[in-house]
Amino acid sequence: MGDTAKKARHHIIVGSGVAGSQAAETLRECEPDARITILTLSSLLFYNRYDLPKVFRGHRDWREYLVYPAAYYRDWKINVRRCSRVAGVDARRRVIALDHKEEIRFDTLLVASGGRGYIPEDLTDFRPLMHGFSSYTEAMSAANEVPKKGHVIMLGGDMIGLDLARTLIDTRHRVTLVAGPNTFWPHEVDDDERPALIAALEKMGIEVLEGADAGGIVSIEEGARGLSARRVVFRDGTELYGDVVMPFFGLSPSVEFMLGSGVDIERGLLVDPALRTTTEGIYAAGDVCQIWSDAERRYRFYYGWKNVRAMGDLAARNITGSSDPWVPAQDEKLHISGDGKIQSPFWEYA
Amino acid sequence: MATDIQISIVGSAGDGTIAAGDILKNALAGMGYKIISFDIYPPEIRGFGKCIARMRITTEQAYSLKHKSDVLISLDDSHAIPHAGEVRECGAVIYERASIVQLPEGGHISAHIGPGQLPYPVPVRELAEKSTGANRSRNIVVLGFLAGLLDLPDEAFLKAIAKKFKRKAEAAAASEAAYRIGRDFAAQTFKLDDVVFGPPVSTVVAGATVEMISGNAAIVRGALDAGIDTFFGYPITPATSIMERLAAEMPKRGGRLLQTEDEISAISAVIGAGYAGARAATSTSGPGLSLMAEMLGMGVIGEVPAVIFVSQRGGPSTGLPTKTEQSDLHMAVFGGHGDAPRIVIAPTNVDGCYRCAGKAFELAEAYQTPVIVLVDLYLSNRYETVVFPARPPFEADMNRRPGKQSAGAQYKRYALGGDSISPRAIPGEKGTMHVVTGLEHNELGRPSDQAEMHEAMSRKRHEKLKAALKHPDLTTCKRFGDEGAVDVGVISWGSNFGESLEAMLKARGEGIRCAAMKVVMLSPFPTEAVAAFLADCKEVLVPELNYQGQFANLLQAHVARPVTRLNRVPGEPMKVEDILEEIRRLAGRKAAQKAA
Repeated sequence: MGDTAKKARHHIIVGSGVAGSQAAETLRECEPDARITILTLSSLLFYNRYDLPKVFRGHRDWREYLVYPAAYYRDWKINVRRCSRVAGVDARRRVIALDHKEEIRFDTLLVASGGRGYIPEDLTDFRPLMHGFSSYTEAMSAANEVPKKGHVIMLGGDMIGLDLARTLIDTRHRVTLVAGPNTFWPHEVDDDERPALIAALEKMGIEVLEGADAGGIVSIEEGARGLSARRVVFRDGTELYGDVVMPFFGLSPSVEFMLGSGVDIERGLLVDPALRTTTEGIYAAGDVCQIWSDAERRYRFYYGWKNVRAMGDLAARNITGSSDPWVPAQDEKLHISGDGKIQSPFWEYA
Repeated sequence: MATDIQISIVGSAGDGTIAAGDILKNALAGMGYKIISFDIYPPEIRGFGKCIARMRITTEQAYSLKHKSDVLISLDDSHAIPHAGEVRECGAVIYERASIVQLPEGGHISAHIGPGQLPYPVPVRELAEKSTGANRSRNIVVLGFLAGLLDLPDEAFLKAIAKKFKRKAEAAAASEAAYRIGRDFAAQTFKLDDVVFGPPVSTVVAGATVEMISGNAAIVRGALDAGIDTFFGYPITPATSIMERLAAEMPKRGGRLLQTEDEISAISAVIGAGYAGARAATSTSGPGLSLMAEMLGMGVIGEVPAVIFVSQRGGPSTGLPTKTEQSDLHMAVFGGHGDAPRIVIAPTNVDGCYRCAGKAFELAEAYQTPVIVLVDLYLSNRYETVVFPARPPFEADMNRRPGKQSAGAQYKRYALGGDSISPRAIPGEKGTMHVVTGLEHNELGRPSDQAEMHEAMSRKRHEKLKAALKHPDLTTCKRFGDEGAVDVGVISWGSNFGESLEAMLKARGEGIRCAAMKVVMLSPFPTEAVAAFLADCKEVLVPELNYQGQFANLLQAHVARPVTRLNRVPGEPMKVEDILEEIRRLAGRKAAQKAA
């Protein structure tokens, strides 16, 4: 008998966003015979979340958002298991346990599960009365609730939210931003820059209320009959009425399923510049990981479409034999453009 | 917007798969959609085998099930996983979100949902427990979810549930609760809107009634509308439900039904009843027909009317008792000893089951011979929406009576001459005393072994059947599709004709000149019409569900010309795609299709 064929490795990627999908593609290019499985909570194939504001422009068909057709996954032999929640990872046995009681063996694992919208603790009780915007389903749900020329109350105002606000203003909706410490996240804004940036938002047509000036939010309630659907009440008695309340306080990394896996976690999964976690064979990429920065001497997050995509690519290359270090792929500076409006590099994608 | 949606429910015996299918199709039929459905179930009673309830819901007339379903509901992943690939692109797969036992890799259906399909995990068990307090009604929870997902009206489902459990108030209440919780769960689920029902289209003519009914139920209705008096039978899958339904209905109409000790007794009693003037019938399947073969000959030589409903299943012997097959054609047409011609008719759809069942009694009386109505498990268990006429289209009496006998003349029960159909007296009629025997006989019915008499009587028994080909209001064969010369002609029979017709219509849609013919009367054979059809066809395709090509054999015995046989024995209906592919190949289109 001749040489026995080397058994193909099984690479599992948790997360089907920008990082996970890019990683799958690079893995396939680098290792044509490998088994590649993407596990995702989403019921849809990889779609462009950055495009979601378009739902307010009337683009409601989910097919429009898919980055690749189904045939792509068949052609590239990438198995995508949707609606699959990871319950835990047993790094020693190299096994992933799925919530529905199925176990899958892996040779390497890439965690690219991203983050979900963060909600400050004092607002978590009001979660059912707020509309998230981190998935197509949530975006559609919000869009269905906002009437023509409706009023959106935006809490926090991270750059994802402000991107949506631009579209809402464009589409003749009214936007009131309740600004706070997370406004402009993930940009780090100095106190002396902030007034000009807030003024730029107002110039863009966004009404801004500094939450702290009104004493902070006391409650979010359903509007009374005949009034708007939502009421936001502040400590000083100020009330805002709107059709939806949408929280945009930045992202919280989705790492729960990694607890107990042996991988070091701070807020996100800690990885070295080659995107290796503290456990051999397990990598992380995208919004879920904090990368060691030699320059800053700390673990830090890197956000934005270009960064996340580059991380997916790098992780896949390192999984398949390279050991290249992370190099940020995009500018992180918030600008005010010539027309007085803010311009963020995080809004540049595709 | 035309509706054409196929839904498959797959589970294990005991999961309520077939019951869920019944409720679903009743609800949809109640809404005015046309339904074709076919259930597959295992020979085991409970807890082992696979059950599939599969239905196609349309606004336009459909003739078969589709190869791909639009929605697959899994009540048991171990059985449903092999069917995940049968869901079309953008079709939905609805399944239990979490297992209660540890699964190996690939043991959950989510591992088998293709990238083009849409997954819908539902906590079915949890919802069932919440609504009923026990792990019951999981099948109804998924129906509720389906109704919510497809935005179907509650009333139709609740009515169908109430009908299903009309004698079980507790079960009805639990099922309604299960339905509602499933429906509520769907309201929280984002709908990916690719499977959409258009409004139903009503095509009911005044006075007619529309019912969703199975092939066997249609046979029963046809028999009752034709005035069946007596029935003798012995249960056998898949014919049993004919006897069961008649047992419920016949006493109400003054009829008699007896379960005999075996099939030999059943056919003997039917022939006895037929001799006595009753409209009598039995039902059986292949193994039972084998046992009836000897007495069939008795019916032929005695020229006694008898109707035998035969529902075929996979054979030989016990074979595949819960799978379909068309492999008893030889037995039905030729089975038995001696030259024993009989009438064999094979309906091609559920409406045909009704008509053939009723017509069988006319034929048996008119031509004084046993008549076999040949269906198969697929047609027996298939449900279709059927429009029943306001008045039964069957003659109540087709007997040729002897009239008053002249003084001194002897009544000749087997008189020769004319159209070979002798006047038939019912025993006890004055002046018509005669003998009926299994021996060859003369015109009086008295035993005769003379060569001339045997020859004359054999001719009589064969010749009289020719008139059956022109029996009023009976379709012996029918052509569909392009008129005149065609590149491919598909000729088929029985349940398989629906798939053949659908494939032919699709081929026409692709620009292939083709036609299809269904042959309903297998004996005597409508040779003239079939030969005319075959003469128009450059290529002839004969698809059928048996290994030998039994219909092709029969066809070639009557019309000598080469045909292409497409023989399959999967135990399930033939795939339209398989027939279509063969049509393309015969039309020289294969390369073109592949290129496209």
